[in-house]
Amino acid sequence: MVNIPMSSVSVASRDLAVKRFAARDAVFRLLTRSAAYLVLTLLGGFLVTLVVGSWLALSTFGVSFFTSQSWNPNPDILKFGALAPIYGTLVTSAIAMVLAVPVGLGIAIFLTELCPLRLRRSIGTAIELLAGVPSIIYGMWGLFVLAPVLQNLENSYLVPAVAEIPVLSTIFAGPSYGQGVLTAGIILAIMVLPFIAAVSRDVFETVPPVLKEAAFGLGATTREVVRKVVLPYSRVGVIGGAMLALGRALGETMAVTFVIGNDPKVRASLLAPGTTISSSIANEFAEAKDAMHSSALVALGLILFVITLIVLAAARLMLLRMSKRSGV
Amino acid sequence: MSVSTTSAPVLSGVAANGPIQQAAGPAAREKIKIEGLNFFYGQNQALKGIALSLRENMITAFIGPSGCGKSTLLRVLNRIYELYPNQRAEGTVLLDGEDILDPKQDRNVLRARIGMVFQKPTPFPMSIYENIAFGVRLYENLPRPEMDDRVEHALRGAALWNEVKDKLQASGTSLSGGQQQRLCIARTVAVKPEVILLDEPCSALDPISTSRIEELIDELSSSYTIAIVTHNMQQAARVSDHTAFMYLGELVEFGDTQTIFTAPRQKQTEQYITGRFG
Amino acid sequence: MQPAQSRSSSLPARRKSANAIFQGLCYLATALGLTALCLILGSLLYNGIGGLSWRVFTEITPGPGSEGGLLNAIVGSLIMTVLGVAIGTPIGILAGTFMAEYGRYERITPVVRFINDILLSAPSIIIGLFVYELVVVPMGGFSALAGGAALAVIVIPVVVRTTEDMLLLVPSQLREAAASIGAPRSVIIRSVCYKAAQAGIVTGILLAIARVSGETAPLLFTALGNLNFSLSLTSPMASLPLTINQFASSAYPEWQSLAWTGALIITAAVLLLSITARLLVSKRSGP
Repeated sequence: MVNIPMSSVSVASRDLAVKRFAARDAVFRLLTRSAAYLVLTLLGGFLVTLVVGSWLALSTFGVSFFTSQSWNPNPDILKFGALAPIYGTLVTSAIAMVLAVPVGLGIAIFLTELCPLRLRRSIGTAIELLAGVPSIIYGMWGLFVLAPVLQNLENSYLVPAVAEIPVLSTIFAGPSYGQGVLTAGIILAIMVLPFIAAVSRDVFETVPPVLKEAAFGLGATTREVVRKVVLPYSRVGVIGGAMLALGRALGETMAVTFVIGNDPKVRASLLAPGTTISSSIANEFAEAKDAMHSSALVALGLILFVITLIVLAAARLMLLRMSKRSGV
Repeated sequence: MSVSTTSAPVLSGVAANGPIQQAAGPAAREKIKIEGLNFFYGQNQALKGIALSLRENMITAFIGPSGCGKSTLLRVLNRIYELYPNQRAEGTVLLDGEDILDPKQDRNVLRARIGMVFQKPTPFPMSIYENIAFGVRLYENLPRPEMDDRVEHALRGAALWNEVKDKLQASGTSLSGGQQQRLCIARTVAVKPEVILLDEPCSALDPISTSRIEELIDELSSSYTIAIVTHNMQQAARVSDHTAFMYLGELVEFGDTQTIFTAPRQKQTEQYITGRFG
Repeated sequence: MQPAQSRSSSLPARRKSANAIFQGLCYLATALGLTALCLILGSLLYNGIGGLSWRVFTEITPGPGSEGGLLNAIVGSLIMTVLGVAIGTPIGILAGTFMAEYGRYERITPVVRFINDILLSAPSIIIGLFVYELVVVPMGGFSALAGGAALAVIVIPVVVRTTEDMLLLVPSQLREAAASIGAPRSVIIRSVCYKAAQAGIVTGILLAIARVSGETAPLLFTALGNLNFSLSLTSPMASLPLTINQFASSAYPEWQSLAWTGALIITAAVLLLSITARLLVSKRSGP
C-alpha cells in the first residue's frame, strides 16, 4: 500500500541538505557565469593583444603602413607596408567567392530540388564531412597536384589565348609558375565549397514546401521556382552563409601559404606570386628576430582580425535575421 | 447538449464514489490556506484574488476552461513558477500555517514537501530505480537495503511494482505512457511529500491507464492532501471531495464536489459543467 | 518534381530550354564539386598509402634525406589535443550551461552567443598570435603547453555552441519535474539535463577534437614543432600538421612522402571522428 511512514525525514538532515545545496548552487552558478564571461573576454583579449602588439609598427609607420608595399625585414632597413598582403588577402578571397558561390549554390539547388531522395542524404553527408577536412590537406594538394597542372594549362593555353586582348593580357600575364594568386584563390574556393553548399542547403530547406508546391502547381519550372520562390525567400540566409565562407577564406592560412608563392608585391597579373596577411604571419612570425618586424606582423594580424570581425558579424546578423523569420 | 443528458452520468459518477459525502465534513484540517492570491505573467494578471483551502487527506479538483488559471494556481503552490523570469505571485499561501511565498522559505524543501505530477509523463533519463532513488537521495542518506525498500514501497504505492520489479535497471523512458506516469507518481511519493499536486495527470493517457491512475489517486488520498487539475469533468466528479471552478483567473465557485455538480450556485458553473462553454 | 515534368511538355520552348540549361548547370556544379573533392581524397590515398607502415608509428621523424616515421608527431598531436580538450571542454560546457540554464533569460546571453559564433570562425592564425603574446612571451619560449592553450581557444566556442544547443533541446518539463521533487538547480542541471543532453554534448566534443586535430596555423608559433621525441610540456613539441607543413614544403622526397602519409592519417582520423559524432546524434534522435 501507499503508506510510507511519514516524517522519518528528519528536519535536521533536511536543513543540512538545504545549506549544502545553497552553497553548491551558488558555486556552480558562479562557475558557469565566469566561463560565459571568459568567452566574452576572449574576443576582447584578441583585440587588446593585437593592438598592444602592433602599437610599435603602427605608431612608427602611421598611414603609410596601409599604403606602402615595401616589406623589408632586413635589420638595416626595417620598413614595413601592408599593402601587398592586404591586396593578396582581398584578391584571393574574391576569386574564391566568385568561383565557389555559384558552384556551391548549384550543389545546394541540386540537393534540395533535383537529387533523388535516396542520394540526398548520402551526398549531403559527404559534403558536410568534406567541410571538416583540415585546410593543410587542401594546401598540400594544391602544392603537389593542382599547381603543376595549372602551370601547364596556363602557360600552354590561357596566356597565349589572351595575349592580344587588352585588359586580360595584363591580368593573365605569363609566365605562370603554378604558385600564385590565382592558384591560391582556386584552392580557397575548393576549400570553402563544401561549406557554402552545406549552409545554402540548410537555408533552402527552411523554405516552406507549400510555397514551392504552390509554384509547381501553377506550372512553374524548377528554374522559375528557384529564382522566384526559393532564392527570394532565402536570400538573407544565403548571403549570410556566403559571408561566413568569406570570413573563413579571408583568415585561411595553410591552404594559401603552400600555393601563393609568398612574395610581398602587388602585381597586376593573377598568375604572379603574391602573399596574404595570414601567410605572411605564418611564414615570418616564428623567425622574426626584430621587435619591429614582429610588431608589423601583429599589425597585419590586427587588420585581418578587424576585417574578418566585420564580415563575420554581418554574416551572423544576417543568419540571425533569417532564423528569426523562419521561426526556428 | 441539454442539462439532463450530460449531468446524469456525472452524477452517477459521484454517487458511485461513496466515501466522498462523509469525507467532506467540516472536521478535516486546513492543510493549505490560500488568501488574496494574485499572479502575474509579466503584465498579465493570471490569478485574481484567489482564496480557498485544501483540506488534509482530501482531494480537491480544479476545473475550468483552458487559460482559466487552474494550472497556474498549482504552479504557485510549489513555487515552480520561479524557474522562469517575469512571473510573480502576491498574497499568502499557508502550509500548516507557514507562508510558503515568504522568500525565506527554501523553495527546494518546499517542493520536496509539495510534490507535483505533470500532464506529460516526465521520466528522468536514468533507470527506473534511479528515477525514484534520485529524489530520495537529495534529502536523505539511506543505506542500500533501506533505499531498495523505499523504491519498492514507492513502486507498489504507484501500482507499478509488479510490472517493473524484474527490470529496475531498465531506462525509465522505455516504459509505456501510462507506466511512465505511474513512475512519476511513485517518484513523487518516494520523497514523502505532504501534498501532491496533479496537473492534468491523465490527459496524455489512454482510458485504461486513466482509470488505473484514478484508482491510484483515490488510494493516495488516505495519506496525502491532493490537488488535481483536470479538463475532464467526469474525472473531477469521480475522484474529488471538493471542486473549485475557475474562470478567467477568478475562483467562481468552490465547495463539495457533489454540490458543485448537482446544485451549483453560479450560472457560469452550471453552464460549464453542462458543457455549454469551455 | 513529377507534376512539373509532366507539365513541361506544354511549356513554351524558351522556358523549357532555360530550365534545361539551369538544371544542367546544377548537375554540372555538383559534378565539379564532387570531382574536386574526390580528386583530393584520391591523391591523398594514392600518395599516402604507400608510406603507411609500422615504421610510421614506431620511429620518430628522420633528418633530411633519411628514412623514419612520425611517432613524435603523432604523440605530440595526441598530447596537445588532449591538453586543448582538457582545458577547453570544461570552460565550454560551463559557459554553454550558463547560456541555456542559469542565464537563459539574461540580457548578456545573446551577446555571449553572438561573440561565441564569431570566435567559432575567427582566423586560427590570430589565435596563434594571441596565445603567443599571452603564454609564449611570459614563459620565455615555445612550448607544448602554449600549443595546447591555442587549441583550447579553438575548442571552447565549438563546445559552447553544442552544449547550449543541446541543453536548449532538453524539454523544460524535465527541469520542472526534477524541481518538483525538491532538487536544487545545480542538481537538476548535472543529474538530469546533462544526462538528457549527453549524446549531443559528446558529439560536440568529438567535433571539436576533429577540428583541432588538423589545426596547423595556431601551432606554428606556440608549439613550434620538434624533430625529436619530446614529452615535456614546457619545450617545443611536434604535431602531425606541423610536421606535414615542414616536410611538404621541403625538397627531400623522403620528407614529402612522410607528409603525404601524415596527411592521410589526419584526414582518416578527422573523418572517423566526424562520422562517429554523426552516428551518436542519429542514434539519439532515432527510434
